[in-house]
Amino acid sequence: MLLKLAWRNIWRNKRRSLITLAAVVFAAVMAIAMRGIQLGTYALNIRSVVELFSGYLQIQEKNYLDNPSLTSSFIIDSKILDALKSTKGVVDYAPRIYADGLISYKDNSRGAAIFGIEPEKEKNVTTFVQNINSGKFFTSDSSNQIVVGDQLLKNLDAKVGDEIVLLAQGYDGTLGNQKFKIVGTVKFGVQELESALIFMGLKSAQSLLAMGSKVNVVAIKADDLNHLEEINDQLSSKIRNSNIKILSWDKINPELEQAIQLDNVSGIFFLGILIVIVAFGILNTVLMSVIERFREFGVVLAIGMPQVTLTYLVYIETMLITFIGLVAGNIFGYAINYYFILHPIILGEELKKLYEIYHFLPQLKSTLQVSIFFNVSLSILAISLASCFYPAYKVYKLEPLKGIRHT
Amino acid sequence: MEILKAENLVKIYQDNGVPVNALMDINLTISKGEYVVIAGPSGSGKTTLLNLLGALDKPTKGKVYFETENITLKEKKELSKIRLHKLGFIFQAYNLIPVLTAIENIEFSMMLLGIPDKVRKEKALELMDELGIKELANKRPNEMSGGQQQRVAVARAIVNNPSLVLADEPTANLDSVTAGHLLDLMEQMNSEKNITFIFSSHDKQVIDRAKRLIILKDGRIENQ
Amino acid sequence: MLLKLAWRNIWRNKRRSFIVLISVVVGLAAIVLTDGLSNGMMSQMLFNQINLDVSHLQIHKNGFDRNKIVKNFIPDYKHVESTLQTNPEVEAYSKRVFATGILSSASNSSGVIIYGINPDEESKVSIVKSSIINGKYLGSGKREIIIGKKLAEKLGVEVGDKIVAMSNTLKGDIGSDAFRIIGIFQTSSSGFDKMTVYVQALTEQEMLGIGDNYHEFAVIAKDYTKINLVKNNVETKLGSDYEVFTYRDLLPMLIYQMELYKESMMILNVIIGLALIFGIINTMLMSVFERIREFGVLMAIGMKNSRLYLMIIFEAFILGIFGTFVGLICGLLLDIPLAHSGINLSIFATGLESFGVGAVIYPVLSIGNLINAVLFMPFVAVIGALYPAYKAIKLEPIYAINYV
Repeated sequence: MLLKLAWRNIWRNKRRSLITLAAVVFAAVMAIAMRGIQLGTYALNIRSVVELFSGYLQIQEKNYLDNPSLTSSFIIDSKILDALKSTKGVVDYAPRIYADGLISYKDNSRGAAIFGIEPEKEKNVTTFVQNINSGKFFTSDSSNQIVVGDQLLKNLDAKVGDEIVLLAQGYDGTLGNQKFKIVGTVKFGVQELESALIFMGLKSAQSLLAMGSKVNVVAIKADDLNHLEEINDQLSSKIRNSNIKILSWDKINPELEQAIQLDNVSGIFFLGILIVIVAFGILNTVLMSVIERFREFGVVLAIGMPQVTLTYLVYIETMLITFIGLVAGNIFGYAINYYFILHPIILGEELKKLYEIYHFLPQLKSTLQVSIFFNVSLSILAISLASCFYPAYKVYKLEPLKGIRHT
Repeated sequence: MEILKAENLVKIYQDNGVPVNALMDINLTISKGEYVVIAGPSGSGKTTLLNLLGALDKPTKGKVYFETENITLKEKKELSKIRLHKLGFIFQAYNLIPVLTAIENIEFSMMLLGIPDKVRKEKALELMDELGIKELANKRPNEMSGGQQQRVAVARAIVNNPSLVLADEPTANLDSVTAGHLLDLMEQMNSEKNITFIFSSHDKQVIDRAKRLIILKDGRIENQ
Repeated sequence: MLLKLAWRNIWRNKRRSFIVLISVVVGLAAIVLTDGLSNGMMSQMLFNQINLDVSHLQIHKNGFDRNKIVKNFIPDYKHVESTLQTNPEVEAYSKRVFATGILSSASNSSGVIIYGINPDEESKVSIVKSSIINGKYLGSGKREIIIGKKLAEKLGVEVGDKIVAMSNTLKGDIGSDAFRIIGIFQTSSSGFDKMTVYVQALTEQEMLGIGDNYHEFAVIAKDYTKINLVKNNVETKLGSDYEVFTYRDLLPMLIYQMELYKESMMILNVIIGLALIFGIINTMLMSVFERIREFGVLMAIGMKNSRLYLMIIFEAFILGIFGTFVGLICGLLLDIPLAHSGINLSIFATGLESFGVGAVIYPVLSIGNLINAVLFMPFVAVIGALYPAYKAIKLEPIYAINYV
């Protein structure tokens, strides 16, 4: 009966209720679409960054993250190998060595970031091997061949096929010095990176740097961003070595994680403002509709309706509108998010450049993550409940006689 | 048997800071089954007295006993309960709930008592039949005439079998023929169901048909 | 007269007007606050970059920017120096020797940019001197070096330790020199701290074998907004042997990001405006229907539709202006103390530092965006009143008078 009464009261002033409804739908759709695009794009960005180079997870020597030096290295023993092979969700893995060095060609020399890699393994873990610009990638066991950043080649005034000299401090602290042949260049669209990168075979790097069979990092590709925690736990418990750490992408790329957090927080902040503004609209409407009916309320109070029941009525009315608005908003929001999953927004030329600096795909994509719908609905419901409080309080304090006399 | 007793009732309003003596020293006893009309010119305090007797308002001084219980000191919640269980109200402007049909309006106070859906409907229909307004059951207030609305209001007032019905100028908005029918109805309820009625009115027809007449003037009872 | 009527009508239902007012105020205050924060973040990014090593204007030998090699030093630095000295817009400049190379400690090595500077000159164009957290800034001593905190951590060195720097010399062989670390600095950019070291210009010139030559002039102008004037002047005087870049040329992405942000502020304004419109339509509708009878009377005594329409629009407009005004004040009141103390976003600091912002954001208001918002809100209120006002003039006077 109370529900019926509330329902009919809503339709008594159709126009007003519809506008309020529209406001709720607007807020819900905006919020769901914006959150969808934000969270969807984050996942896209994370994937494209980690798949480019870092991998979803890395096995590192425990000091490597703070101090990436040759001494922070380890040997991939059978325990680690078994763990990697037996853990569900690990797609593949690739061992790496990293060192700084100096590259010289004729009278030109440059600082360089040297990576020793196994291209056959990397292909299954990361995508940078595909970024070959000219020439080709070496194979894992080919010795004394390197691939360099495109810009580095230009800066050295060298070309593919030339021989260069690499100088680097080895594991034992001595300076190593060796000739290499440039067999290809890579291009990521980021000058800083391309003017310093050198890739060589893992074995070549191990001999140049006197590393034996040690490596610095094993990059791992996982099947899903959401499985990282599980994989991490399993690997840790299988490897059980206090000298080794397993880190997920957010630890390896804290800048990316923090940038996402920052953007995320500013998104939530903005939605908060949006919802509060809509809440004021609801407050105003409910208050007006309540004050309009003071006389009616006075009569039912005189008949003996308890004050509390009357405040329930006010709440039920608002909740009904909010609920309908949320249902519609969720449906529209779902449709919009679904659309942007199928048809990601392709960014324009200039924004594209900006995105490429961070190695992001120049796209905005959405997601249908359940938590978005749930959180948005819950916040709007909560705030519309809160905005009812003042009108409901006015009703609670209403004296029957004052109501009857209200004009 | 005494149902209502007023003792030295005084009501003083503040009107823009100026005290207005609405009621002065009213003493009154009403017995079960009486049919009382409070008459008097406008401003004489009729509505104020009715509101005090119906526990809608509190006196400045004095006491009101309902079924020997002092209701002047009771809390809002308890008063609301008494009004729901024991009292019925009929207003000058009918004051039905506009979004509910006639039968739903009658069911409304039963709902407040927690009577189940089915029983409610049966009882409401039965009562409407008795009052000859069965055909109005599914009409909304704005589809009914004033007389029809007031009949529904009477039904709403008596559906919970109150011991006392208070009616504030119930005929003021009705033509004399319709008013006559309404009075017939209430007299019938008074005699058949032994419900006590207290009216406030300055309608001559109502006053003429009063079984007991109380005349108010300037906040005091003139006759008795 | 119409305005007066509108004004009085607003105050008839104070509570209702007040709630509409509050929503406008919240909207505007929110805009002012977000604007201040984002704008503050942007200009912090820009000024931090400028203050690190970008400066307002850089002068090199033509071709240096594309290929930063040792032999691309400035052919006649004295000529450049005298040009700058005669330019009244120039506040300060610093001559820099530039080299990329490797820095090695006993435990690790790292690729770096080695700047050779004259310490006094450099302290007038960059904040490196004031960013020293350990030890001291460069003085007149030879073979001294200051490095960033991140780099010191990576190399495992402290103030007082020795490190070896290696770089290509002019002749083409590898020159190396041992340096003593006399200071460690920490700036707002972790990338910069990881990559950049400073030594005495003389020492580096010797190490590279380039005589007394320099690679770069970093110039600070008196007014950075007039930097293009300086650029044009310097360019014409120096001729085509030199390349002259302003910070806008050197930081194209950052400049672009700032432009982008201005557009996104516009979108933000529109969304907040839309959210507000719902509330305004509803309130104005209610106030119109409440006064239908009154409007009927006004129409009956001969008030023209257009005037009635205008009156209702005025009511909304006044509410809009009033709300905007109060919102602006609230937003400013929030912003001003924050502009002094800053907002500490250290939870996100790593992210911010990698953008070169720093953990504490000081809101800065951009007048342009504020003006937009201030003009926009009353306009939104008027849009919200269009439909209710239309409803009002559609009334028939007779119906309206009899309306209850």
